[in-house]
Amino acid sequence: MRIRHYLAMALVLAMASGACTASAAEAPGQPAAQESRWRLGAALGYGLRRNPLVQSDDIPIVIDLDIAWFGEHLFFDNGDLGLTLADNSAVTASLVARFNSDRVFFGNTDTRFVSADLAGMPLAEVTEFTVPDRDYALELGVELLMDGAWGQLQVTAFHDVGGTHDGYEIYADYAYGWREQRWYLEPSIGLSYKSDALNNYYWGVRDDEVSIVLPPYTAGAGTNLHTRLMLGYQLSRNWSFSLVAEYEQLNDDAAASPLVEQQDVLGYFAGFGFRFR
Amino acid sequence: MKYLVLSVLWLAAMPACLAAETGSDSGMRLTVKPMLCIVDKRKPRCDLAFLVVWETELDDYYCLFNDLGERPLRCWNTASSGRHEDERSVERSFSYWMTDRNPENRLTTIAVEVLRMDTDDRRRKRRTRHVWDIN
Repeated sequence: MRIRHYLAMALVLAMASGACTASAAEAPGQPAAQESRWRLGAALGYGLRRNPLVQSDDIPIVIDLDIAWFGEHLFFDNGDLGLTLADNSAVTASLVARFNSDRVFFGNTDTRFVSADLAGMPLAEVTEFTVPDRDYALELGVELLMDGAWGQLQVTAFHDVGGTHDGYEIYADYAYGWREQRWYLEPSIGLSYKSDALNNYYWGVRDDEVSIVLPPYTAGAGTNLHTRLMLGYQLSRNWSFSLVAEYEQLNDDAAASPLVEQQDVLGYFAGFGFRFR
Repeated sequence: MKYLVLSVLWLAAMPACLAAETGSDSGMRLTVKPMLCIVDKRKPRCDLAFLVVWETELDDYYCLFNDLGERPLRCWNTASSGRHEDERSVERSFSYWMTDRNPENRLTTIAVEVLRMDTDDRRRKRRTRHVWDIN
């Protein structure tokens, strides 16, 4: 996270000093310049992503960095590394390496002294309890991107290649955007199937983690549902204002875990964004 | 504290950019509304009425041009201000400018930007699933 803050500082300073000069990049009357391979931007505002774990803090969103590079075949997109295998009028297919996003919740948990177990039953004595930690999983998979007048569809299938959870995830997201001059509205909806190995690694409670506070738990496979609504207003060539609301429902096996307090994960953000063009 | 610093820098940078919407060289002030038009695959052209307003201190002969044609859009005789509504269908950025009697003497120029918001590269629209992905 510290690296993110330094990167954000550097990016904001660069914008503050040279942002406006960038708007002269395309001279009037000239053909549009070829799209840059880089996509650099940042948004600053306020937002939150609720943390479904017990004894946890919500995840604040103050800065959103966007750092991406797209080559003819290789690309880097905010931590994802991809190799595009096919790109035609019907589909763009890529091999992608990424880190699983479920781990993010486990980075915002607290250690507390509790007088009841996670089911609410009183304990004989006050006990220290820490939510077990989980590792990031390096995953490799295939990503299919399709679009048209009907909208955009993204389908991915990822498998753990680092030996962290040995599971897999299949994900689909459909989005449709409306633009009316500076306004842009994009709702999206989707689901992600998580295998039992993946689900159990993050949401299960292993034998060595069991305590008088935390009972054992084995999670099976399940499907998360998600929906998102984004409203954007383009203030100028580089600046925009965005409102985003996101909702994810954890699968039943994850939600039934003693580590989980809420089945619903709500996120929102409102802020000003800057993108180099 | 770092968020406060970032916020101040951010807020300082934004109005500086938005303020660049008025051309004001040579005492001639020229404004155009709208300054920005957004196109994409579904709507590849901007069909808009641009309102051009100019003002200067001296009464004189002035003409308004744009770089979509060689002839002036309109000229004013013995005037120090004026306005003109220009209906256009455009697909790329262009400029308006004012001249005095000499059409080569541009007193001030202002650009209207046509911003293309879509891309032919589907990868640029992919959704990443990190917590910070709110673009």
